[in-house]
Amino acid sequence: MDARHLALHGLAIKRYAGAEAVAELTGLSPASAEAQLAQALATGRAVETRGAFSLTPLARVALQASYDRIFAPLREDKGFAEAYHGFERINPDLKQVITDWQTIELRGERRANDHSDQAYDDRVIDRLGTLHERAEPVLSGLASALPRMAIYGRKLEAALDRAEGGDIAWVSDIHRDSYHTVWFELHEDLLRIMGRERVE
Amino acid sequence: MMTHDWTLKLDGSAMPDRALVGGKAWSIARMLSMGLTVPPAFVITTKACAAYQSSGLPEGLEAEIAEGLAWLEAETGRQFGGGQAPLLLSVRSGAAISMPGMMDTVLNLGITEATEAALAAETGQSAFARDTHRRFLELYASIVLKTPVHLEEGATPAQWRDTISQAAGQALPDDPRAQLLAAVRAVFDSWNSRRARKYRQHNGIADDLGTAVTLQVMVFGNLDADSGTGVLFSRNPLTGARAPFGEYLPQAQGEDVVSGKFTPLRLEAMHERVGAAHDQLLIASERLEADSRDMQDIEFTVQKGRLYLLQARSAKRAPEAAARCAVEMVHEGLITQSEALDRVTPEQARELLRPRLAEGATAGLQAVATGEGACPGVASGLVVTSPDEAERRAAAGEAIILARETTSPDDIHGMIAAKAIITAQGGATSHAAVVSRALGRPCVVGCGTGVLALAGQVVTIDGEGAVYAGALPMVAPRAEEHPFLGQLLAWAAQAGNDKFTTQPAEADLKTLGAVHD
Repeated sequence: MDARHLALHGLAIKRYAGAEAVAELTGLSPASAEAQLAQALATGRAVETRGAFSLTPLARVALQASYDRIFAPLREDKGFAEAYHGFERINPDLKQVITDWQTIELRGERRANDHSDQAYDDRVIDRLGTLHERAEPVLSGLASALPRMAIYGRKLEAALDRAEGGDIAWVSDIHRDSYHTVWFELHEDLLRIMGRERVE
Repeated sequence: MMTHDWTLKLDGSAMPDRALVGGKAWSIARMLSMGLTVPPAFVITTKACAAYQSSGLPEGLEAEIAEGLAWLEAETGRQFGGGQAPLLLSVRSGAAISMPGMMDTVLNLGITEATEAALAAETGQSAFARDTHRRFLELYASIVLKTPVHLEEGATPAQWRDTISQAAGQALPDDPRAQLLAAVRAVFDSWNSRRARKYRQHNGIADDLGTAVTLQVMVFGNLDADSGTGVLFSRNPLTGARAPFGEYLPQAQGEDVVSGKFTPLRLEAMHERVGAAHDQLLIASERLEADSRDMQDIEFTVQKGRLYLLQARSAKRAPEAAARCAVEMVHEGLITQSEALDRVTPEQARELLRPRLAEGATAGLQAVATGEGACPGVASGLVVTSPDEAERRAAAGEAIILARETTSPDDIHGMIAAKAIITAQGGATSHAAVVSRALGRPCVVGCGTGVLALAGQVVTIDGEGAVYAGALPMVAPRAEEHPFLGQLLAWAAQAGNDKFTTQPAEADLKTLGAVHD
């Protein structure tokens, strides 16, 4: 994948991101990401609002159309496909863990988790830790076929570390690289690579 | 008489040292000391754990375990690893302080081909005995062998064992005593799991504290018509009313309650079937609540008419219940005002004051769409189907409801801008549900494709699962008028405590695009 496509792809996943975030996600150098985004802006492929870039609708469609060609070799890669399927097998469990983090069941009724029950929260974070251990071979499988994927494993572990350390916003807060945020970006990246649609 | 260096029988004679037996065994001992009945148990102490960490399973431990098992057999009249009335065990980890990363509980240890047959004959339920066997093998594979496997329900135990040894690269021991030792080792090893070590580091817990292992007899709620299982809350966990609230499932095991396959009965029905156990349960509930000075959540099983308490802990509760319990327990003299303030979080107080539809607002109205409520709350606004449009119009000051087939990370800016989110497809764990809860936006998922046709209309979303045409009147409850929160606020004010200070309700209503009544 050339630097131009990589920058656009990173922007499609990060959405409303600065050059730094795109560089981190894609493994481009900050200078290169900045240059690519500036060029995308100049050619009408991206718009900028308050320092954050996003793709224009047409650029989004064009990018989507280029995936079949760009990712054809990776889709044929047995190791990568196997790791991808491993990810999809774990994904429903992750969603259940996050749902159990956000909601709590009281005699059959689901309520918002107000995080007043520390023992409950500890158990869910514990399950997230177990899930992460299951995900580790999948993450390293993805990264060995496509090195830039390694960033996801590092960010997931960093988020888990912070959550385990008691900073619970790192489980699913949408405004930071929480475990859930990074997991979803990874899923989005994988769906684009494999040419699949999100189910729900 | 042998000496006991590594184990301790929980026989109700004296309260053991919590650091030596861990939290789980300690709470069993506490229930025994209150004169309550729990399934017989003994514990391998943290001292054995310390010895194991330095030089493996200590000498003499195996003999003590054998003696403990013999004691359990004598207490129950059942037999471990054989016989006509098989004795099955639960194996639990338990440090003095509960912490993540420790080994989960292995249930039904002691089941083999022979004891499965005995259990089938005893219960008259061969499917139950077979399933008990399957669930034990799954737990053992996942917890002790660290190899989660899915065992097909129709297969034979021999096939299950094959599946496990292929996946784990090692065979499962046939002898339950060998399985028990392996489980004990797994508990001790889990003390040094990555997560447990990290947690101790973060929380300044000493590494040499160690964990104990509690070995407890499994009781069966499905032996006969006078058996059953259930849960009891010492007060109502939704409203906080001071009336025990429970569910009872006759002739069933705990997992039947969780599976949702059967509808549990109310407590009154339990009274009709197993009156003595029911009465004992209510007495136990009172004692446990008085002792802990908090609302209790009690798991129990009735085996042949006899009540066994499995677990009692502080109950999870809805915000209403948290406020009511806190205030009423002060009136009852159970806790102090300052403890009451500690028992209600600012989030719970906010939840109690969250704007809602005005009384009768939906009377006579037909919902234009219904689905699964994913995030509670109410909001009104104009329906748009594109996140970009949602963001643009919200920035211009319009109240917007985002309707999507499903959502993806591409939609997040629109979800942030919207007052509420509705989707055509997906369930309670879908992306839309997860993100809307993180954002605190009311959300209804799985409404069907018709929901996209609402574009351009003004609707009101009730996050319990309905969409109504038009902007319906909403009200924001006032803290002072809330019967229990009002009291807590008064106590907080007296104490100079400002934890419940919230923003004025009118501001909330305006944000939600509500029509005032």
